[in-house]
Amino acid sequence: MYRIFPYIALFVVTILVQVFLLDNLSISIYFAPMIYLALLLLLPLDMPHIGLLAAGLVTGWMMDGTMGTDGLNVIATLPVAFLRPWIIGLFYTREDPREGGIPSAARFGKVKFIRYIAVCVLLHHSLFFSFEALSWVHAARTLLRIVVSGAASVYFIWLTARLFTLKLTVRV
Amino acid sequence: MYKLIEFIRNTYVVVLFVLFEAIAIGHYARSTHYTRARLLAKATRVVGTGHEALAGVRSYFRLERENRELLEYAAALQERLACYEASCEAPVPAVPSVLRAAADAADAEGADSLRTRRFEEAGPILDDGRYRTSTAAVISNTINKSENFLVLNRGIRDGVKREMAVLSSGGAIVGYVVDCTERYAVVLSVLSSSFRTGGKLSDSGYFGQIYWDGADQHTVLLGDLSKYADPQPGQEVVTTGSLFFPDGIAIGRVIDAQLDETGTTYTARVELAARLSGLSHVVLVENRDIDEIRQLLKSDKIHP
Repeated sequence: MYRIFPYIALFVVTILVQVFLLDNLSISIYFAPMIYLALLLLLPLDMPHIGLLAAGLVTGWMMDGTMGTDGLNVIATLPVAFLRPWIIGLFYTREDPREGGIPSAARFGKVKFIRYIAVCVLLHHSLFFSFEALSWVHAARTLLRIVVSGAASVYFIWLTARLFTLKLTVRV
Repeated sequence: MYKLIEFIRNTYVVVLFVLFEAIAIGHYARSTHYTRARLLAKATRVVGTGHEALAGVRSYFRLERENRELLEYAAALQERLACYEASCEAPVPAVPSVLRAAADAADAEGADSLRTRRFEEAGPILDDGRYRTSTAAVISNTINKSENFLVLNRGIRDGVKREMAVLSSGGAIVGYVVDCTERYAVVLSVLSSSFRTGGKLSDSGYFGQIYWDGADQHTVLLGDLSKYADPQPGQEVVTTGSLFFPDGIAIGRVIDAQLDETGTTYTARVELAARLSGLSHVVLVENRDIDEIRQLLKSDKIHP
């Protein structure tokens, strides 16, 4: 239960940025970054599996409400929450993740941390845009949306992680 | 029993994940653009004030462009008025001067009031007694989803109703209202996969169906166009007139066209006249006869 307030702040800030800023970016149909995943990716390493699932459900449900997507965000967010322990296991083998701490560049190493974010974002965006399109007719276009929006999301989440861990020690 | 409890302990997260995921997929599969709009309308009750504040900031930075568009529109109205004057020798109402006054007042009062007055004066364009126009500011707008919605700062208390047509400030097609709350309205954008309306080539009158294929935020398609239409780049495309949209509302211009494999119909790519990514104010058009037409369509004589 440590650092509950920074996590509440992270939840509120990422949701607000997503709803009021990123969802209203009218730049291109291929550019739809999603920063709200940052909360899921930055939850403590020793977070119980059921807690991750609950966080994924609440975040997805809230985003569905604000984006008017009727379940789409839950569909994409829940697998990220469910598979996060295994994804972390792919990149973080130095110590036992159960000892806790915040997933960060300082703890994982910069390259591994970015890969960790990229895998989670890729999983989320693949599900999100595929279910949104619900057709293979425009598969190339869907792929382009996953790549472009995914790259933007990875950048924004990495930036958020940097800001979030700026003042907090990550128990390396 | 112990083994059962142990089994549940070991697998309950997996079971919950599968359960919630299945519920979400089922929910999404049953949803339509109406249910999504309703959800968005409910959420806007909570976050609408924030959207309005940000829309005000965005609107401030667009004032210069809006003023330019206003002057162009005033010039077009003036030209139109001159045509009417020449044809029916009617006394000239002071539309251009009123518009000019509204433009001058815009600097002091902001674009919202300007738009309201402007379209009160420009109302006769759509007014053959069937249509009522009003204006609204766009407080939220997406273009990067397969179903895109706009949220407007006008709702039921301002006389906004479902199925009102929504036009850009230049009078081009934007979408139609799908749901309203007391203070806000949600509009299904022409940039939505479920949006359909009739469109025709303005000079030849050949008509087809307007829809969005999700390829580009600046273009839509005009499908099912007769092989005799022979659409050419630059031809104007307008609405055919429907329950929602008045006849002759600008949709855009043909960029190119292709005959389908069977050689019976054309599909033309149309560049939208409205710039949907930069909308700040829109015009709402209500068809006063829509309820009467609907009742007639439900009549026992039509469906015995």
